[in-house]
Amino acid sequence: MNQIRQWHPFVGPFDPCPPITVKAYLVPPNLFIPFQPPNWPQFSPAEALKRGTLWPALYSPYESRMLEGRREVQ
Amino acid sequence: MSAPKKPDEAYYQLLTELQQLDFVLVELMLYLDTHPYDLQAVQQFNQFAQRRQQVAQVYESRYGPLLQFGHSFSRYPWDWANTPWPWQV
Repeated sequence: MNQIRQWHPFVGPFDPCPPITVKAYLVPPNLFIPFQPPNWPQFSPAEALKRGTLWPALYSPYESRMLEGRREVQ
Repeated sequence: MSAPKKPDEAYYQLLTELQQLDFVLVELMLYLDTHPYDLQAVQQFNQFAQRRQQVAQVYESRYGPLLQFGHSFSRYPWDWANTPWPWQV
């Protein structure tokens, strides 16, 4: 599932700044898992520390979208 | 105080392993808080706790105590105050 969603905010005609037409937000997988089932596959300890979770199903990359946002504005 | 020991490759390897084991233990602890009857997870937790103890023992025998207040044994001479301190590595 794609973890990034977008919405199009209202742009007023008197906005003094160049409007941001598309805004994006991240929905991490834990939002859609009310109760974690047992015996999920796991990362190795090293991988888990690096990714910040022991279970691949809960992994969310949370990448920086700063550059992408700037490109939208320009 | 003796001369400060320079941290070698094994030092960082052991610290990394401790960090990894601790992270798995935290994750399992949080999971077990909501799944107290998951026997397999409890077994895995205990297995990791044991491995952590072993790694910590190796670390402490080579580089000195990790904890105070009697949770770690001391070598001779007393070297708790010796560098490197946690924020220096």
